[in-house]
Amino acid sequence: MDRRTVLKGLAGAGSLALTGGLSAPAIAQGAAARTLRFVPQANLANFDPIWGTQYVVRNAAAMVWDTLYGIDSSFRPQRQMVESEEVTDDGTTWTFKLRPGLKFHDGEPVLSKDVVASLTRWSARDPMGLMIKALQQELTAVDDRTFKWVLKQPFPKLLYALGKNNSPCSFIMPERIAQTDPFKQISEYIGSGPLKFAKSEWVPGAKAVFEKFADYSPRQEKSSWLAGGKQVMVDRVEWVIMPDPATAAAALQNGEIDWWENPIADLVPVLKKNKNISVDIGDPLGNIGSFRMNFLYPPFNDVRARRAVLMALSQEDYMRAIVGDDNSLWKPLPGYFTPDTPLYTEVGGEILKGKRDLDAAKKLLAESGYSGQPVTCLVAQDQPITKAMGDVTADLLKKLGMNVDFVATDWGTVGSRRAQKTPPGQGGWNMFHTWHAGADCVNPAPYTAIRANGDKAWFGWPTSEATEKEVASWFEAKNIDEEKAAMGRLNKAAIDDVVYAPTGFFLSYTAWRKNVTGVAKGPLPFFWGVSKSA
Amino acid sequence: MLSYILRRIVATLPVMAIVALFVFSLLYIAPGDPAVVIAGDQASPEDVERIRQSLGLDRPFLVQFGGWVWRILHGDLGTSIFTNLPVSAMIGQRLGPTLSLMIVTLLLTIVVAVPLGVVAAWKAGSLIDRVIMGFAVFGFSLPVFVVGYMLAYIFALELEWLPVQGYTPLSQGFWPWLENLILPAIALGCVYIALVARITRAAMLEVLQQDYIRTAKAKGLGQGGILFIHALKNAAVPIVTVIGIGIALLIGGAVVTESVFAIPGLGRLTIDAILRRDYPVIQGIVLLFSFVYVLVNLMIDVVYTLVDPRIRY
Repeated sequence: MDRRTVLKGLAGAGSLALTGGLSAPAIAQGAAARTLRFVPQANLANFDPIWGTQYVVRNAAAMVWDTLYGIDSSFRPQRQMVESEEVTDDGTTWTFKLRPGLKFHDGEPVLSKDVVASLTRWSARDPMGLMIKALQQELTAVDDRTFKWVLKQPFPKLLYALGKNNSPCSFIMPERIAQTDPFKQISEYIGSGPLKFAKSEWVPGAKAVFEKFADYSPRQEKSSWLAGGKQVMVDRVEWVIMPDPATAAAALQNGEIDWWENPIADLVPVLKKNKNISVDIGDPLGNIGSFRMNFLYPPFNDVRARRAVLMALSQEDYMRAIVGDDNSLWKPLPGYFTPDTPLYTEVGGEILKGKRDLDAAKKLLAESGYSGQPVTCLVAQDQPITKAMGDVTADLLKKLGMNVDFVATDWGTVGSRRAQKTPPGQGGWNMFHTWHAGADCVNPAPYTAIRANGDKAWFGWPTSEATEKEVASWFEAKNIDEEKAAMGRLNKAAIDDVVYAPTGFFLSYTAWRKNVTGVAKGPLPFFWGVSKSA
Repeated sequence: MLSYILRRIVATLPVMAIVALFVFSLLYIAPGDPAVVIAGDQASPEDVERIRQSLGLDRPFLVQFGGWVWRILHGDLGTSIFTNLPVSAMIGQRLGPTLSLMIVTLLLTIVVAVPLGVVAAWKAGSLIDRVIMGFAVFGFSLPVFVVGYMLAYIFALELEWLPVQGYTPLSQGFWPWLENLILPAIALGCVYIALVARITRAAMLEVLQQDYIRTAKAKGLGQGGILFIHALKNAAVPIVTVIGIGIALLIGGAVVTESVFAIPGLGRLTIDAILRRDYPVIQGIVLLFSFVYVLVNLMIDVVYTLVDPRIRY
């Protein structure tokens, strides 16, 4: 081979590319107008909403799979795939009938056997599903459109469990897919919802495409969160993954994308100045910031040490670190439940209110027997929220006179290290930071972080008999008044024992081009009812 | 030559084996757990453990390593823990954007940096030389992401000449393909252009002092012919060497550039895989990169024989 041959080859390849390129068709403008380009909060790395329970998977799955019931914006379960239900007087036998005409994306009808298999897989992973499974006597298909769920004792929150939007949701899949081990990932994505997943166009980490399912049969009611008529107004929804917020902001301004799920607070002022962009609170249920203290080891195995930290912490400091100067984006939270929701309570939250008393906190800490041992504080630096909270906590602990062992690391490491029950000096920990979606904190049903059943509890393994007693009271409550009373007692018990430290309630924006209409506020982005003009 | 190339390819095998062992060991001892990421933030420790078992992550090191090597020997890079897709398919999806970015950057670099270096050497000590070398220092000093943001702001947001982000495959047209790569290639190429321009200048300065250049001038040859035919050809070996070494720079820089310009290439895949601890994907990409690097070195050795007939293997 000589240089001439190389040059000829390159020239040939170049002209071939050029010729082939110029003859390729361009995307018509009409098609672009029927395609909604959306930047989600995170990468869609997998697509099994039962196996992987990240919010982003749930959000994508809600387009592709339908549920039997859907929680509406009033937190009430409404019929979705179900046409009717009957329950016996003793509350133990439920009989459900499916709507006629329901179809999967492969054209097959949705049958009771599919529902039974889907609920079986879901109930092996979901906290509420596990509770129901523990009470289950039988779950069987009666005929193609009817199935029966027989329980050993009543479970008043059954319909709520079937319609909740907290991950994992009870999505209905074909039987052959739903029979997959719940701890293994499915490999077929045949849905029952209003949009189909275009697997051939999926580039994990970059793009996911959803196409309108022509045979979907929406309900006639107006849509409200996961309930009602899921009318899809565009032909395609393209999820474009953008790891860099500045790029997403520029792309939205330039019209290269239509909707950005969660712009960071620093870039919102720029977006608000753009006349072609609308900016508003996306999820009114927001998030609750938190750090958890390890109940297994000193100093936080003593409730006085935990209370001392609570007594000294300023939620405003935490919230300002997360959202900056925008006061509309945060609220103080003297409790554990999502503000502005029907069961919200501040009962027992006095320790988090008013002026912070550092001296009293120091005194209480000394009474707990703290004698200067290192406090291992895990802080994920790759998550802006945990990094901001970690910095505030380090300062707080130092003010309290604690010896802080600040472990700056990434979320992947925090995720695995927080599961270690070994002492802090031997790979364990004393504190880590996280946050909870407000939608998961509206009541105790999906709220794993509020549970205080020791070894079985979430990381930190809090033990609080009073808290557990009130969680049970809520589940047994027969009406809204009983639920509210139980929630008040629960909030007080959890704060008294400091199940975890709430650092405040914060919201985030969502932003979209003004040629897009129908963007609804809610705990996840809803794509039905959203349309786009050219 | 052919036997030399074959020997070099065979010699890459132990290198690849060492890289494979090193990468696997490093990932094994590194903190982090993909099962935690899969299970989600609300999952119980029991759920996480069940997922670890189903993925085989609870098995001993040697069992896991042995299984992986066995699959590699059968041409199977494994399956992504998260996407359940074959690693080779995931790499295949991402290869096009990264290759496109690297080729455009490489061409841009050669077209811009070599003439700049030649001119700087020709006008050594003059204002032109200082301006070009000043640009080189500037290119070295600016981080890729800063250049990227500046370019996107000026040419995409303000002037609206080019898109901010994304990638269009060549199959959808040459211009749509190229317009998405112009800004990323300039951002990524800045350091590379600076490096090649400086090396070209230094190599040319040395060659321009040689007797045969003086002879060429005495024969009355034009300045262009002297610089680009006689001098540049003889200065080519160090330039080719640094272009080859620079490909390693491109691989590293592509990670940042692909993130800034939302290009779905191997760089982003690498970062995503590392953050999620998607071990099979990380291992596959590192093996690929090390193979590419070995291959590039081999190609440079072959190119030496094209630019300098005295070199024979």
